[in-house]
Amino acid sequence: MSTELEQKLDTLTDADYARGLEVFRGGLKEAEASYLNACVRCGLCAGGCHYHRTEPELENVPGRKLDHIASVFKAHFTTMGRLAPGLVGAKRFDRDMARAWVDAVFGRCTLCGRCSMNCTIGIPLPALFRAARRALGAMGLVPEDLQATVENSLQHGNNMAIEREEWVETVEWMEEELQADTGDPEARIPLDKQGARCLFTVNPREAKFFPLSLQASAKVFWAAGEDWTLASDGGWDLTNYALFTCEDDQAAAIVKNLTDAMTRLGCQVLVIGECGHGYQSARWMGPEWLKQRFPFPVVSILELMDGYLNEGRIHVDSARNQEPVTLHDPCNLVRHGGISEPQRRVLRRAVANLVEMAPHGVENYCCGGGGGQLAMSRYRNRRLAAGKKKADQIRATGAKVVAAPCHNCIDQLSELNKEYQLKVQIKTVAELVAAALIVPTHSEVLP
Amino acid sequence: MPNQLFTPLGTAVVAAGVWAVAGLLVLRARARAFGSRQPFAAAAGDPAAGIRYAFTGAMSPGAKESVREHLPSYGLGLAFHGGIFTAFALLALSLAGFELPRSLWLGARALLALGAMGGLGLLLKRLLKAELRGLSRPDDFVSNLLATAFVALALVSPGQAWLLSAILLLFYAPLGKIRHCLFFFMARSHFGAFFGRRGVFPPGGSHVH
Repeated sequence: MSTELEQKLDTLTDADYARGLEVFRGGLKEAEASYLNACVRCGLCAGGCHYHRTEPELENVPGRKLDHIASVFKAHFTTMGRLAPGLVGAKRFDRDMARAWVDAVFGRCTLCGRCSMNCTIGIPLPALFRAARRALGAMGLVPEDLQATVENSLQHGNNMAIEREEWVETVEWMEEELQADTGDPEARIPLDKQGARCLFTVNPREAKFFPLSLQASAKVFWAAGEDWTLASDGGWDLTNYALFTCEDDQAAAIVKNLTDAMTRLGCQVLVIGECGHGYQSARWMGPEWLKQRFPFPVVSILELMDGYLNEGRIHVDSARNQEPVTLHDPCNLVRHGGISEPQRRVLRRAVANLVEMAPHGVENYCCGGGGGQLAMSRYRNRRLAAGKKKADQIRATGAKVVAAPCHNCIDQLSELNKEYQLKVQIKTVAELVAAALIVPTHSEVLP
Repeated sequence: MPNQLFTPLGTAVVAAGVWAVAGLLVLRARARAFGSRQPFAAAAGDPAAGIRYAFTGAMSPGAKESVREHLPSYGLGLAFHGGIFTAFALLALSLAGFELPRSLWLGARALLALGAMGGLGLLLKRLLKAELRGLSRPDDFVSNLLATAFVALALVSPGQAWLLSAILLLFYAPLGKIRHCLFFFMARSHFGAFFGRRGVFPPGGSHVH
């Protein structure tokens, strides 16, 4: 057990537990109250969880994780929980339960939601785990490294604390590379272009470690003649780790960087780069956090690329991607985001041999890197062990390339690649499209 | 069959039924008191279509791995619930003094027999599988035993003992996990609406901005 956690548990007072319960209660609506009353503890959710698939023990059964939450709900918020706690399994929120909550919702869950699909009742367990994470946050029990990522976003406008100067230099460097790659000295990666149609947002990992991803997206935009821009200051980072700490005020402050940039630059479409949690944060949760309907559409770059191909704005030659490719489905993008087909349509055109994993799409397995796991070092070994299911899936396809439209997933898949000796390359969808692009002449590129 | 509605046990069954319905309505009201959430994000799909799918296709073996991989449990569950519904139908007929037509009696007995076996099978599974035992609370065993007894007695001894079992079952319904007879529908509706809105349910639906 983590020393850091035990030390924090030592300092908790009754007031902390009361505040945690108050925040937990405040996060519940009719839907969540229904879910908490509905579990029949049939255990059929077990196989739906990649933690349980790789380590079949009771604490990894989603229903067990839920039971830790439901026990406290019953004890504090139901009549039967107060009258007959032993009968219905109600437990007061104390040190042991707080520890159990942390272990269950941070340590053994990526919020991937695969258990929801396999639940007999139809309980979206992540909704309840989010309420629990929020309560733990109010008690100061969010793992420090995960919270530090959120603090970076709040203080620096991006989760890797990249300074504006460094970001601008990276973009300028990539612009030079794009010009060299396309042979078009007019090719641009626009920064702060007022009135551009699309504001494109990226994961800071692209700036720091994977600039070729950014270059690939830029090449696709160039070929399509898209009117687009990046923001030079707050509003270029699509990530929002407060989705994982579940502290909604902080999440709202982070997503506001994007809406402010849209307003400042007068753009019409907010385009989310290849990132699962970034898409869910901006497309689905952002309006809820800010309590407002966005006056612009939020789309994934996957949808844009699908549209370019359909409309004939770009052309690809699949022969340029000859090696077998398999597609990873990021949970936040597919199961929670509803974006499942655009990337498949794109890849069917851009690669010669697309081999699907079994299962895939909404039934996909999480890679193990979701839910903020990559930022919680104390659970690293569990994360890599739980990723074995995904590693086995990849190996079974015989693919040499894994297309992963999510930079968090790419990080986890890269670790799995080493850990399980998969010997695959891991690329974004845009990188594969860029490699297959039939490059237009200068005059063919629309202004 | 004599009308049992005005016998002491028959009246007690009705009273227990009223208690069960009232208890479930209170639970529903308490859940609703938590308030509803008005979504701000623009829908990508149709929540109503999501709900329809959640109650149909999403529960089928084709869409649900947990069903595909646990077909015996799925079968036991279906049989158990079929038996419970049959026993309640017979209870209503019995209280009203109606005789089940002979042509239907064989089918009803078959459903009850399957239901009792389903309940017993699920109980044994819960007792014998260590992981499921670890997940279980006394409530799980009490709920199963009450429902299984109600179905089995409807089959073998549809007299006073059966009516007594009905009283106990109805009395317990809002107190323990049998409350899922209400919350299954509430939870699954929310589940379907959530994924319907996001364009995830039904599969193959159009995703709009």
